[in-house]
Amino acid sequence: MTAPTQLSTVDVPEPPAAPVSVVVRRASLARRLGVAGAGLLVSLVVVAAFAPLIARHDPDVPTGVPYDPPSVSHPLGTNDVGQDLFAQLVFGTRVSLTIATLSALVAIVVGLTVALLAGYHRGRLEAALMRLVDLILAFPFMVLVIVLAAFFGRGLLTTVAIIAAVIWARPARVLRSQVLKVREYQHVVAARAMGASPSRCICRHVLTRIAPLTAAQFVRAANISVLLEAALSFLGLGDPNRVSWGTMLYFANARNAFLTDAWLWWILPPGLALTVAILGFAFLGYAIEELADPRLARTAPRHRRRRSPNRPPTTSAERRPAGVLEVHELSVDYLADPPVRAVDRVSFTVGPGRITGLVGESGSGKSTLVMALLGLLRPPGRVVGGRAVVNGRDLGRLQRAAVAQVRGREVGFIPQNAMNALNPAYDVHRQVAEVAALTRDRAAASERASEVLELVGIPAARHRSFPHELSGGMRQRVVIAMAVTNEPALVVADEPVTGLDVVTQARVLRLLLELRDRLGLAILLVSHDLPLVARTADDLLVMYGGRIVERGEAGAVSAAPAHPYTRLLLASFPSLRGPRRLVGEAPGGPIGVGAPPDGCLFHPRCPERVDECRCTVPALAEVGERHEAACLLSEP
Amino acid sequence: MGGHVLRTVGQYVLVLFAAISLNFALPRLAPGDAVDYLLPPEQAGSLSPEQRRQVLAQFGLDQSVPTQFRDYLSGLARGDLLFSVRYGRPVGELLGERVGWSALLVGGSVLLSTVVGAFLGFRSAWRRGTARDAGTLTGVMLVDSLPPFFVGMLLILVFSVQLDLFPIFGALPTVDTSGLALVAEVVKRSVLPLATLTLASIGPVYLVARSALVSELQEDYVLMAEAKGLSERQVRRHAERNALLPLSTVTLIGLGSLVGGAAVVETVFSYPGLGRLIYEAVLARDYPVLQGAFLLLAVGVILANFVNDLLYPLLDPRVRRPRAAAT
Repeated sequence: MTAPTQLSTVDVPEPPAAPVSVVVRRASLARRLGVAGAGLLVSLVVVAAFAPLIARHDPDVPTGVPYDPPSVSHPLGTNDVGQDLFAQLVFGTRVSLTIATLSALVAIVVGLTVALLAGYHRGRLEAALMRLVDLILAFPFMVLVIVLAAFFGRGLLTTVAIIAAVIWARPARVLRSQVLKVREYQHVVAARAMGASPSRCICRHVLTRIAPLTAAQFVRAANISVLLEAALSFLGLGDPNRVSWGTMLYFANARNAFLTDAWLWWILPPGLALTVAILGFAFLGYAIEELADPRLARTAPRHRRRRSPNRPPTTSAERRPAGVLEVHELSVDYLADPPVRAVDRVSFTVGPGRITGLVGESGSGKSTLVMALLGLLRPPGRVVGGRAVVNGRDLGRLQRAAVAQVRGREVGFIPQNAMNALNPAYDVHRQVAEVAALTRDRAAASERASEVLELVGIPAARHRSFPHELSGGMRQRVVIAMAVTNEPALVVADEPVTGLDVVTQARVLRLLLELRDRLGLAILLVSHDLPLVARTADDLLVMYGGRIVERGEAGAVSAAPAHPYTRLLLASFPSLRGPRRLVGEAPGGPIGVGAPPDGCLFHPRCPERVDECRCTVPALAEVGERHEAACLLSEP
Repeated sequence: MGGHVLRTVGQYVLVLFAAISLNFALPRLAPGDAVDYLLPPEQAGSLSPEQRRQVLAQFGLDQSVPTQFRDYLSGLARGDLLFSVRYGRPVGELLGERVGWSALLVGGSVLLSTVVGAFLGFRSAWRRGTARDAGTLTGVMLVDSLPPFFVGMLLILVFSVQLDLFPIFGALPTVDTSGLALVAEVVKRSVLPLATLTLASIGPVYLVARSALVSELQEDYVLMAEAKGLSERQVRRHAERNALLPLSTVTLIGLGSLVGGAAVVETVFSYPGLGRLIYEAVLARDYPVLQGAFLLLAVGVILANFVNDLLYPLLDPRVRRPRAAAT
C-alpha cells in the first residue's frame, strides 16, 4: 500500500493481513504432518529403548540355522550365519537413531557456532567462514562421506564425526542468513546501541529468534544422517560391531536375498524401517519450518476451480447503456467471523469518455472495489450483493469467469504499482503483444504492440527492453500501453501515479488525458490524493468506510465540498513520510477492528459533528445540481 | 560482466584446488602407514621394514610434505593418477572406462527428475491448499524417504524377479550383440537404475519448484497478467518462467548428491559406472582408485556448478543485461 496517509479510521481492512480460513487449512496440513512425523519417531524411540524386551535373541550371535525362514522362535527368520533377523531389526533402531541424533547434534552445534560467529561479527572472519561453507557445499557430500569412511575406518563415533563433518555446512549457511536478519530487528539494534554485550545480545535476542529454524535444521540434519549411515553400512563401511538396518541390507544384497522368498523378511523390514525413520524426520522438519515461517503461513490460495457464474453474462442490445460502467448496490465482504463489510451498497456510473475520480484514504474500500470490478478478488473477499454492467454487458455479481470475458478487451487495468507489474523475464514488447493477441492474430498483435508503445511515448529503440532496463516513468507508460491496447471502453487506473516524482506524475496524467481524447476512453481514476484527482477528473466519488459519502462533478465538488470528510481531504497536501492526520481532524483514537461505529461512520473523526451524527446514518442527498453528499449537516 | 566471470572462475579454481589438496591429504592423514594404502593388504602385511622404506622411496613418500605435494601436482598435470592396486592398471584408464556409464545414469536422471519434479511442484503450487496439493506433497515426501538402494532392490524384485521384464546385472549383454540390438539391450539394462536414481532425486526438485512458484504467484506482475486479460494458462506460464530460475540452480547443484546416489544405486544393479568402481575399491582397499574417482567426481561437480553460473544469465535477463535505467 503506497498511500502516505495512514489514518486512524474505521478499520475496514483492504486486503486483510491473513485470510483466516486459509491459514487454518495450511497450518492444519503442516500440523498433521508434524504429528504424523512425531508419532513415527516416538514409536521408533520406544522400540529402541525396550529393544532387549522386544527381541528374544542376541542380534550378534548365531541362534539358529542359516537361511531359516520365519518361525515362532525367529519371527523374521535368520540370515546367512544364523543370526536372528528380528533381533537385528529391533536393535538396528538403536544404531540408526543414535547415529542420527549424535551426527545432527554435532552438525548443528558446529553450524550454529559458525552462523553466529559469521552473522554477528561479520568482517573478515565471516568471509573466511562462508568461503569454507561454500567449499564444502560444492562437494558431492555422499561421495565425500564414502571416501572419508574408507580412509578413516568404521567405528560408531568415526561415522558420527564423518557425517557431521560433511553436513554442518548447510545449517551454517541457512542459520547465518537468519542471524543477519534478526540482527537488524529494531529491538536488537536498540539493545546493541544501549551497550548490551554481544554474548547477551546473542543469548537473549538472537538465539530465541532463530530457535525454531535451528530445530528445523536439526531435524533435517538427522534425516540426512539416517540416510548417510544406511548408505555407508550398505556399502560395507558401517560399524562392524553393531548391526544396523543398512548392514542388514548389505548382507541381503550380497547374498542375493531378492532372488528367493527371503526378500519378504530380509529386505522389506529393514528397508521399511529406514523409510519410517527418514519420513518421520522429514514430516517433522517440514512442519516446524512451515509453522515457524509466518511468510509461508500467510500465502493465500489462488484459484478455486472456476465456477460457472450464477447468471450468464448477457448483452442487452435493446437497452442503451447510460454509462460505460454501471455499478448497482455492490457490496463486498471479507468472510470472517463476523464478516467484514469492505464495500457497502455502492452505486455509480461512469459515462462514456469521462474521467471519474474515486477518492478515499487507504482502508476506504476503494482498492477492494477495484479488484471486485475486475473479478480478481481473492478469498476470503467476496461480492455479496449488487451487480455491474460494463458496456451494456451485465456481469452479474462479477464472478471470475464472467469478468474474464471483458478483461483486457473492454476493460483495461492500470495497477497501483507499475514498478512490479511487469514480468522481469520478458521484454516489454512481448508483454504488450500478448494483450493485443487477445483480439487479433500474432503478426497483427506484434504490429499493434509497436504502435501502442509508440503511442505512449516509448521510442522504438526501447521496445525490446526488459523492465529492469526502463525508468519508473517508462514502465508506467508500458503498463498504460497494455491497458489501452485493445481500445477498451473503460480503463480502471488504481493509483496510477503514486510513487512517481511530481514531474513524471504530471506527464503520465497528461498522457491519460490525451489517450482519453484520442481513443474515447472512459477512465475510473482511483487515488488517495483528492487535490490531484480534482484537477484531472470530470466527476468525483468520495469514499469512506466502504460507502460513497459525496459525489458530483469535479468542479462543483471541489468548489463547494458538502461533506466534512471531503473538505479535510481537499485541504490535505502530500506528506513526505509517515502517518499523518488530516488537517483539522477531530481528536479521537482509532476505532475498534471490525466494529464500525453507529450512525455516521465518519463522526468520530468529524470536526463538525453534532449529537445526532452518533445515531443517524445519513443517506446520499442532493446538495446542488448533480451533486450529492451523505451528511446530516448538509441536508437542506 | 567480465569481472564477474573472472571472479567466478577464480572461485572455482579455489574449490578445485581444495579438492586436490584434500585428495592429497587424505591418505597421509588417515591412520596407518602409507604403504598400506599403496599395496594390496596381503602384500603390505608381509613386508619387512626395509622393504617398506623402499616402497616409500619408490613413491617419493620419504620426501618432505611440500616436495611431495609439488610432485603430486606435477603428476596430476601429466594425468598421472597412480596404479590401481587391484587391477594393476593406471587409474586414469579405469576411470575412463567407467565414467560414460555414470554420465548416462546421472545425466538421464537429472533430466527426468527435473521434468517430473517441476511438473508436480508447479501443479501443487498452482492449486496450493487443496487436497490434491496436500496429497502430492505427502506422496513426494514418502518417495523421497525411501533409501535409493531399497528402491533399487524393490524394483529388481518386482520387475526383474517377479515380472522378468529387465535383466538385473550390468550395462552390457553377456552375449555378443551389435547395432540396434545392442542399443536395445543397453536401454533395457539402464531402465531400472535410471528409474531408481530418478525417484531418489525428485523430492528436492519438487519442493523447490513448489515454493518458488508459490512465491512468484504473490508478485504484482501475476495479478497484472490476469488483469490484462490473459488466460489461466498464459498467467501460469508467466509465473513459471520466473520460478524456473531457482530450479535451474537446484538441479545442477543437486548433481552432487546424485553422483553420490549413483554410487549406491550402481552397486545394487552391478552397473559398471564410477559408483560401482568406488564400491569395488572400498572392498579391495584399492585407495589409488578411490582417490582418482573422488577427484574426478569433484571436478565433475565443480564443472556442473560452473556451467550453472554460465547458463544462469540465459534464463534471467536481469543478469544478462544489467543496464542502468535511463529516463
